[in-house]
Amino acid sequence: MTIKSNASPVLFDTVTKAYGDVVAVDAISLSVAPGELVTLLGPSGCGKTTTLRLIAGLEMATSGHIFIGDTDVTKLPATARDVSMVFQSYALFPHMSVSENVGYGLKVSGIKKAETRDRSQDALDLVGLTDLGQRMPSELSGGQQQRVAVARALVLEPQVLLFDEPLSNLDAKLRRRVREEVREIQQNLGLTTVYVTHDQEEALAVSDRIVVMRNANIAQEGTPRELYERPADTFVADFIGDANIVDAQIIAVDGDDAQVSIGNLTMAMPHRNAGPGPVQLAIRPEAIHPIVIDADNTGNGDGGSLSGTVSKATYLGSHFEYTIETALGALFAIDPRIDAPVLEGQAIGIELASRGVTIIGDRS
Amino acid sequence: MKKTLIGLGVLALSTAMSLPAQAADKLTLYCSPQIEWCNLMVEAFEKETGIDVAMTRKSSGETFAQIKAESRNPKGDVWWGGTGDPHLQAAEEGLTEEYTSPTFGTLHPWAQGQAKSAGMMTVGIYAGALGIGYNSELLASKGLNPPKCWSDLAKPEYKGEVQIANPNSSGTSYTTLATLVQIMGEEKAFDFMKKMHLNINQYTKSGSAPIKATARGETTIGITFMHDMVTQVVNGFPVEIVAPCEGTGYEIGSMSIIKNARNMESAKKFYDFALRADIQTRAREAKAYQVPSNSGATPPDESPDLDKLTLIEYDFVKYGSSAERKRLLKRWDDEVGALPR
Amino acid sequence: MNRFIVLWFAVGLIGFAIIPWYTTDDSFWSFVWLTDGYPFDADYAPALLQIFVHGKIWLAPLILFFLAVVPVLRRDASGQQQARYLAIAGIGGLAYLFLQGFTIGIGGWEYAALESLFGPVERQFGLGYGAVLVAGAFLFLLTQSFAARGYVGGDLFVAGSIGLIITLIVAFVFFPVSRILMSAFQDNDGAFTLLLFAEKISDNKIWGLRCISENVSCGVAWNSLMLATTVGFGSTLLGLAFALVTTRARLRFGKAFRVLTVLPIITPPFVIGLAMILLFGRAGVVSQFMDWAFDIEPSRWIYGFTGIWLAQMLAFTPIAFLVLIGVVEGVSPSMEEAAQTLRADSWTTFTTVSFPLMRPGLANAFLLGFIESMADFGNPFVLGGNYGVLSTDIFFAIVGAQNDQGRAAVLAIVLLVFTLTAFYVQRRWVGKKSYVTVTGKGDSGLHAALPKRLTWAIFAIVIPWTAMMLVIYCMVMFGGFVETWGRDHSFTWRHYAEAFSITSGEFGLVWTGSAWNSFWTTITISAIAAPLTAAVGLLTAYLLVRQKFAGRLLFEFGTMLSFAIPGTVIGVSYILAFNIPPIEITGTGIILIICFMFRNMPVGLRAGVAAMSQLDKNLDEASLTLGANSFTTVRKVILPLLRPAIAAALVFSFVRAITSVSAVIFLVSADYHMATAYIIGRVENGDYGLAIAYSSVLILVMLAAVSLVQLLVSERKLGRRSATTKPAGDDPPGQKKIGAVA
Repeated sequence: MTIKSNASPVLFDTVTKAYGDVVAVDAISLSVAPGELVTLLGPSGCGKTTTLRLIAGLEMATSGHIFIGDTDVTKLPATARDVSMVFQSYALFPHMSVSENVGYGLKVSGIKKAETRDRSQDALDLVGLTDLGQRMPSELSGGQQQRVAVARALVLEPQVLLFDEPLSNLDAKLRRRVREEVREIQQNLGLTTVYVTHDQEEALAVSDRIVVMRNANIAQEGTPRELYERPADTFVADFIGDANIVDAQIIAVDGDDAQVSIGNLTMAMPHRNAGPGPVQLAIRPEAIHPIVIDADNTGNGDGGSLSGTVSKATYLGSHFEYTIETALGALFAIDPRIDAPVLEGQAIGIELASRGVTIIGDRS
Repeated sequence: MKKTLIGLGVLALSTAMSLPAQAADKLTLYCSPQIEWCNLMVEAFEKETGIDVAMTRKSSGETFAQIKAESRNPKGDVWWGGTGDPHLQAAEEGLTEEYTSPTFGTLHPWAQGQAKSAGMMTVGIYAGALGIGYNSELLASKGLNPPKCWSDLAKPEYKGEVQIANPNSSGTSYTTLATLVQIMGEEKAFDFMKKMHLNINQYTKSGSAPIKATARGETTIGITFMHDMVTQVVNGFPVEIVAPCEGTGYEIGSMSIIKNARNMESAKKFYDFALRADIQTRAREAKAYQVPSNSGATPPDESPDLDKLTLIEYDFVKYGSSAERKRLLKRWDDEVGALPR
Repeated sequence: MNRFIVLWFAVGLIGFAIIPWYTTDDSFWSFVWLTDGYPFDADYAPALLQIFVHGKIWLAPLILFFLAVVPVLRRDASGQQQARYLAIAGIGGLAYLFLQGFTIGIGGWEYAALESLFGPVERQFGLGYGAVLVAGAFLFLLTQSFAARGYVGGDLFVAGSIGLIITLIVAFVFFPVSRILMSAFQDNDGAFTLLLFAEKISDNKIWGLRCISENVSCGVAWNSLMLATTVGFGSTLLGLAFALVTTRARLRFGKAFRVLTVLPIITPPFVIGLAMILLFGRAGVVSQFMDWAFDIEPSRWIYGFTGIWLAQMLAFTPIAFLVLIGVVEGVSPSMEEAAQTLRADSWTTFTTVSFPLMRPGLANAFLLGFIESMADFGNPFVLGGNYGVLSTDIFFAIVGAQNDQGRAAVLAIVLLVFTLTAFYVQRRWVGKKSYVTVTGKGDSGLHAALPKRLTWAIFAIVIPWTAMMLVIYCMVMFGGFVETWGRDHSFTWRHYAEAFSITSGEFGLVWTGSAWNSFWTTITISAIAAPLTAAVGLLTAYLLVRQKFAGRLLFEFGTMLSFAIPGTVIGVSYILAFNIPPIEITGTGIILIICFMFRNMPVGLRAGVAAMSQLDKNLDEASLTLGANSFTTVRKVILPLLRPAIAAALVFSFVRAITSVSAVIFLVSADYHMATAYIIGRVENGDYGLAIAYSSVLILVMLAAVSLVQLLVSERKLGRRSATTKPAGDDPPGQKKIGAVA
């Protein structure tokens, strides 16, 4: 494999981008370590694409500084920055063949013809399109076009590689496959990568670290696991995976744990620096176990129980999805025990797994 | 990047450069009659004097506008030909140079009179009388009588058959307007024009357009200068020329030296040259049928004989002045042009 | 160290210290000055020697502005320093250069007050090679300063281009046009008066509405508006019909049809009008036939609105066609296919998808038709009858018996207001929607066939129209070979011989024909002007569509200005502005080239804007992030995708340069005589045979040029657009066909 990595860190120092009165990115500070894949995740309009384009130099920061490696690139045009970008629309040049597309960056950088050809071929080999160099982009399938776009970006061995929702035009199966390929190439080459998506599953799957954005600000950043298990607020809790947000009460704090009362159920969980008083909990759907109530089973006995009624049950092959009406509101649950389904309208008890229930609020 | 900007620079450079041209023994001539006549004059003058002539042909209105626009840094030396009105205007605005040629004494009285009235800032080189032209074939097929006088043109039988230029845009038509005023008196002239208005199918923009339309049968009767009609006759069109019974006005095609001309010596040489009898006699070679201003020159055979026409005493001073022109044109606009048909 | 700064600093110094500062009397390519007294001769000396040897001390302050650049020549000058010092040098240098040019002219001080203040000074001539180099250096140093501030993405090429085009537009559009428009507010003595302006602009001849109730002419303003609107709509529709026929109807003779369609724009003015008179005039062939066959009395219906409308439709439909054909081709087939898969029939697909996607093209085509009609002079002149329009009135206000430049300016202002309103309405209608259809995703779809109903309707319009065009062109060609067109139809070579004869003389061939001189000048000037015009137009389109910068709207407005103003006004304004220093270029070929560039550039601009708004911006961005600078991006990515627009711009600027009349009349000189001026002289003299012979030759020349351009640059390759191969793919069909209208 002849494609090397020139991975460099990226640093955002209180960067703001405003279009007139509209602030698209509001004083964001952010760093990406060399070889790290950071995902910018958030709903549309949250500023994640603008942030990416600020790194690329396609937008100029209104204030603040951006560094790639040791260089302050804040005022450098896109051309002068050593970054490559894979666009949502792929942006393949329709009038050039696949290998011309891939070799374009090398050619305009003044690399010799023979070397351009060899390196383009390497890049095509890397993405598994060895024999398609002479095709026109219109003769390729969506997945193939996507891979051409990746090859075109990789071949320049950029300091930073940028992806702008690269998989959104692919179908679900292909999306999974391509994202694994992308992740594999990124890890093998050790590329510094910034990846924009609004798909949390994609973000969890490919990222070393995720930056969740909301309204031009960073809502929370951390590893996928940190974000999933310890969301800073309801927005993050809801955005990363599904979560049932419920009100609860901390009764007492004891060491690392807090005693939390949820309805008439009490359980212990990490206090995350919250003191006694009302809190919000994020309960993951898979942490909710519905239990059919019969005569000799009236709850788990730890400290009371929750009960409710199943209003909707959906069979999804590998698991059931339930909507359960409870005193805490409607809860969404996932249950892999497909052999013992609960019927709609049935009254049930609810058991909460200790993993998957967390106090919201990043005070730890 | 650098190459690009050099490219842009070269573009800027090559577009902003300039190259005005003039040197000793040169003459820049603005010529307003037909191109053949202009070429003839240029060739003859170059042959005789060896002076290099750069000639541009533009109509008299265009030339006047150009001389006016160029007045702060004149590029032309002599303006030769074209109807006298704009020459007089140029003289009035001080755009032309005062000069009396040694040959001045040999000119017809009408030419001398016009030059003196303009303070010798322009001089007549030919004359052309106004007339009425009709398409004999079309007239016959419509069963109409040929018009004989100006007043005939107001007769209802010619409804929609007469064409004349708009005096606002054409010097020819303004000359006609002034002529009618001088023949009939202002009030009667306007009464006549109001009546004739009902017969006019179109006020053309250009002065000679009516006779061209007449020649091609687009209109039956056209009012223009007679020498324009002669051109159509010579071209083989069925055009008959009528000298109006009440008498008619005329233009004096003129020549002026442009003020602060760069080649003043050459300009004066050309001026003298153009007034000479032998040179004016050669006009026929270029199918120019005007009457030359030098009394020693022989007019072309096809030319209307000015002696046989009843020419009015055209008051060039009064009707050539801007104020009178503006007044008459405004009155024409208000009382004639605005009438329904 | 910034090599760019050093480069332009050096260029500026060379211009200041080595190259002659003033215009010389010799021609542009003449290097007489090298051997004729340079560098000490007062005419040829560079600025440095002008200051120290010839006492032109007012040039000395320019040295200060050069000094301001010195601090940033250092290797380690920061962006901020660059921005500051270069701004001082650039703004100061340019401002001072022009200030001294305007205050000290051919007669010394231009303003008496300054003379009494400083005493008399020596006269100076127009800016020459040296001054232009210095101006260029200051300009690009200034744009570098903007780029260093991060303006327009810190892009040197973009900043430089914007600077250059703004400078050119200010110098060659705003400056001359303001000179003449000013006269609208001046009385005969040059004093400013608003009262007179108010009186002139409220003239009943402009705004009169009595035509509604009585049989008199309406005001010229209403006439023009009516004409331009109907011609705009008509030519857009007809142009669309022709564009659809050539691209979608899958005709076997599509190529030939395409050439035939653009025929009228390669026709010199007056010719169509004259041919129409000979066909439909009172004595015309058709009228006479109708009289003979059906006893319909020949009338003068062709003179007036109907005639002008027909002639303008003939003349301007090709423009709409050229704008629309790129757009029609550019509509993404996938979107049409998407619509069809959504159960839209071909009619619904056309009306709901294809047609709306052509909206920017339609709007541009309408705008061009409208403006062309407004500014057209030749057709209303020949066919106008009593239907006066603004353009003819403007012409005769300047050259007519009244000779009222003020009135011409007032009418020009009215015309401008109409044009700008149309421009505004067009923008509103196109709105902020995106019409991107060429995206970075390969498009393998096929254009939808036209709905049957529409096809028949289009053929019903196109076929008779084409027939009429053929007849008119046969008439024209025929007119060059007969003794007297419309009278004596005996065959002759006389006209061709007079214009284009070549005799073999003592020293080889002698070009004895009277037309050769103007013919070669015309071809040369037009051939130089066309690529420059297309380049400036497309560059401007790129800046307008792709770059965001302050004052963009004003910029766009400036580019439309010289196009919207009638040629007569431009011609006179060019004389007023460029006959005296600092820019003294009257009587040269350069003034013609510049005039053509800025008059015709908007066509390339419109075609470019329409085509470029269909290109996905991600394509440029991809190129930029791949390390190509914006110039390379334009060259390698945008231009190849804009080939139809380039072809249109090239063809059109070449052809317009050859066929334009009204501006040219004032700008031709003895050394630079243009074909149209020659033709008009002949038409004025009633010498139609020669005029037509010449026109026919020009038509053939332009036809050859158009075919060549069409052949070389018009087709762009986007995907296969054929039904033979199936897409190889690993994704389900339909998935990739969702186009991105982002």
